[in-house]
Amino acid sequence: MIRCERLTMRFGDVVAVDRLDLEIAEGTIFGFLGRNGAGKTTTIRLLVGLLVPTSGTALLAGHDIRRTPEAAKAVTGYVPDRPYLYDRLTGYEHLEFVAGLYGLQGREARSRARQLLDELGLGAQAGDLVETYSHGMKQRLALAGALIHRPPILVLDEPMVGLDPESARDLRRRLRALAAAGTTVFLSTHSLAVAEEIADRIGIVDRGRLVAAGTLRELQAYEGGPGASLEDVFLAILAREAV
Amino acid sequence: MTAGWLVRPRWLSLRRGLRNRPAQGAVVAVLVGAFWLGLFLAVLRLLDWVDGLGGLGAVLAERMLALVLVALLLMLLVSATITALGVFYLAEDLTILRAAPVPLRRLHRARFLETLMASSWMVLVVQAPLLAAYGVHFGGGLAFGLGVLASIVPFLVVPVALGVLLATGLVLLVPARGARDGLAIASAIGLALLVVTVRLLAPERVAHPSGLVGIAAYLADTGAPASPWLPSTWASEVLVAALGLRAGDAGFHAAVLASTALVLFLVSATVVEAVYPLAWTRAQIGRSRGGDRDRWAWRALRSLTALLPGQRAVVLSKDLVVFLRDPAQWSQLVLVGLLVAVYVYNFVALPLHGADPVARTVRKLATVLNLGLATFVATAVAVRFVYPLPSLEGRAWWIVRTAPVALAEVWAAKFWTGFLPLSVLTLGLAGTTNELLGTPRLLSVAVSPVLVALVAAVVSLGLAFGAHYADLDGRDAGRLATGPGAILYMLTAVVLIAVVVTVTAGSVDALLAPGRGDEPGATLVARGLVAAGLGGGIVVAGGVTVVARRFGLRALARLAG
Repeated sequence: MIRCERLTMRFGDVVAVDRLDLEIAEGTIFGFLGRNGAGKTTTIRLLVGLLVPTSGTALLAGHDIRRTPEAAKAVTGYVPDRPYLYDRLTGYEHLEFVAGLYGLQGREARSRARQLLDELGLGAQAGDLVETYSHGMKQRLALAGALIHRPPILVLDEPMVGLDPESARDLRRRLRALAAAGTTVFLSTHSLAVAEEIADRIGIVDRGRLVAAGTLRELQAYEGGPGASLEDVFLAILAREAV
Repeated sequence: MTAGWLVRPRWLSLRRGLRNRPAQGAVVAVLVGAFWLGLFLAVLRLLDWVDGLGGLGAVLAERMLALVLVALLLMLLVSATITALGVFYLAEDLTILRAAPVPLRRLHRARFLETLMASSWMVLVVQAPLLAAYGVHFGGGLAFGLGVLASIVPFLVVPVALGVLLATGLVLLVPARGARDGLAIASAIGLALLVVTVRLLAPERVAHPSGLVGIAAYLADTGAPASPWLPSTWASEVLVAALGLRAGDAGFHAAVLASTALVLFLVSATVVEAVYPLAWTRAQIGRSRGGDRDRWAWRALRSLTALLPGQRAVVLSKDLVVFLRDPAQWSQLVLVGLLVAVYVYNFVALPLHGADPVARTVRKLATVLNLGLATFVATAVAVRFVYPLPSLEGRAWWIVRTAPVALAEVWAAKFWTGFLPLSVLTLGLAGTTNELLGTPRLLSVAVSPVLVALVAAVVSLGLAFGAHYADLDGRDAGRLATGPGAILYMLTAVVLIAVVVTVTAGSVDALLAPGRGDEPGATLVARGLVAAGLGGGIVVAGGVTVVARRFGLRALARLAG
C-alpha cells in the first residue's frame, strides 16, 4: 500500500533522508521511530507531497507522489506534528472546507463533518472559532480532517503529543479499528510504548537511513534478543549504528 | 541580567535576518535612501517656494513644521499603543520571560525600548529628511543640530510612554487581542479623517493667483496656533528658535520636553510594575466568540460559489470568510475607502473644468492619465489585499498542499478573489471620473477592455510576488503590504501601467478628438490605428498575466507548509 523507492532528500550538504526503501502492506500499522532530527518528519513530508524528493519516489496505493501527486493525495489522510489550522474558521467550517478539498460536497460533507466532530468529542465546540481551541482539541480536529474522506492510507506525525490520556487511548483504539478495516497507518512517534502497543511493524531511522525494519519479534532477533523491550531493542540498534 | 540582555534575542534575529538576506536589506536601504532623498529635495523646494512669498514665508514654514510635528505625534501615539499591546502583553516570548526571575522594572525597560524602536522608525524615516531640509534651507548649523538632538528623543519617548500606559489600561478593561484589533481600525479611521481634512483644506489654494489671499485663507483654515500644552509645540519651539526663524526660549522648551518625557517614562514604569502580573493574566483571556452568529457568511458563500468548477469554490469561500473575520483587514478597507474618496475628490477640486486652453489641456491629459491612475489605485488596493493572499494561508498551508488540489485551482480561487472586486472598482473609478471630466462615453467603453486586462495583470503580478515573497508566519496583512516584496511589486506594476498607458495613449487621444477614429467619416485606417493601440495594451497586459501566473505557480509549489 505504501512503497518508498530509494527516497532521498538533501538540504544542501545535509542528507535528511538517505535512499529509503520501504514497503508497507494494506491494513498495517507501521511505527516509524528515531531520534530527534533523524529524518522522520522529512520522510513524512515527502510521503504526503509537502516536499519534493531530491531523488527516488514514493507510491501510495500505487500512485506515484511525484508523477500523479493529486491521485496519491486523494488516498491519503495526514496529521502533522504541529496542527496549524485556520484560526478564523469554526471547527465545523474547517471540516467542511477540508471535505471540499477532497471532493466531498453538500449533505455528505456536512453529515460526515458532524459525525467526526461528535466521535472525536468536539461536537459541543463545533461552532467555536479554531483559535479558541486547546492544542489537544486542534490535534483532534486535524485528525478529523485526515479521516473525513475515509482514506485507505493514514500518515500521522506524532499524533499523541498534546492529547490527554483519554483521547490518547481513544486514538490508539481508533487506529487499531481502522487497521482492522484495511486502512494502512504510517505513524511516527517518540513514544516507544505506543509503538510497542499498536504497531504491527516498526522501522528505525537514523541519520536519514532506515537501519532496521520488521515486527517486534524480528527486531528482537536482530538486536536485544527474545523478550527484550522495544526500548532496549531501539537503543541497542542505535548504539550499534553509532559504532 | 540587564534590560539590554532582554532585547538581545530581537537584535540577534534582526542581525541574522540581514546577514542571511543581504539583497533584501540592500533593497530596503536603497528604497529608504531614495525616499529620504526625494522627501529632502521636495521639502527643500517647498521651502524655497515659500520663501518667494515674502514676509509670510517664515511664518508658513514654521506653521508647516508645527503641523507635521502634531501629525507625527498623533501617529506615534496610536502606533505606540498598538505596538505596546503586542510587545508588553501578546508576544509569545513573554511566557519564558514571565517564568524567569526577571524584575518587572527591567522587563519594562526592555519592552519600552522595543516599543520605542518598533513604533518610531516610520516617524524617523519622515522626520529625518524633513528636519535636514529645514536645517539646510535656513542654515541651521550647530545650534539646529543640538536642537534636533535635544528634542527628537524626548519627542519620541512621550507618546511611547503614553502608549504603554494606554495599552495597560486597555488590557485591564478588555481582552488584549480585541483591544488591538479595535485600535487598528480606530487608527485607520483616524488617519483617514486626517488625510480627508488636509485634502478638504485644499493646499492648492496656497497657489491661488491672488497670492496672499490664498495663503491667508489657508492659514485661517488650518486653525489657531498650536496648543502650548502639546509636546509637538515644545519640539517645534526648540527647532524654530534653533533655526533663528523667531526669537524664543529654546532651552526652556527643551527642558520642559525632556522633563515631561522622563516623568512619563517613570510613571509608565511604576504603573507597569504595579499592575503587570494582573494585566498580563487578563491579556491571556482569548476571545471566545461563538461561530454560530458568523455561520451565515460561510453558508452564504458556499451557496454563492456552488457552481464554480473544481475545488476553487471551497478555497474561495475559505479565503473570503477568513478575510471577513480578520479585523486587521477591516482597517485596510478604511484606508482603501480613503484612497478612493481622495482620488474622486481630486477630479472635483482640481482646475479641470474651465474653458481656457490650460484647463482643456489639463483635462485631456487627465483623461489619458486616468487610464493609468485608476489602475494605479487598483494596484494600491491589490498590494493590501491580493499580495498578502499567499502569506495569509499561514502555517495552515499544509492543509491545501496535502489535499488533492491542483495549485492552478488554488491560484484561480485567489485570482478571482482579487480580480472581480478590483475590476468593478477600476471600471467604476474610471467611469465616474471620466463623467466628471466630460469624456465621451464611447471612450470610456472603448478603454474598458484595456482596464480589465490591466487589472488582471496587476492581480496576477500581485499573486506572483506575494507567493515569491510569502511569509507563512506573517499574519498581519498591513505589515506584509509594506515589506520589500510589496514595494518591488508596486514598482513592477507601475512600470507595466506606464507601458500600457503609453501603448494606448494614441488611441485615447484619437477618440478624444472628434472626427478621428469614432466618427462616421473616420477612415478605416484611423479606426484600425485606434483598435491596434487598444489591442496592443490588451496584448501587453495579457502577456504579463500569463507570465506572472506561471512564475507564481512555481513560487507556490516551492512554498512548503
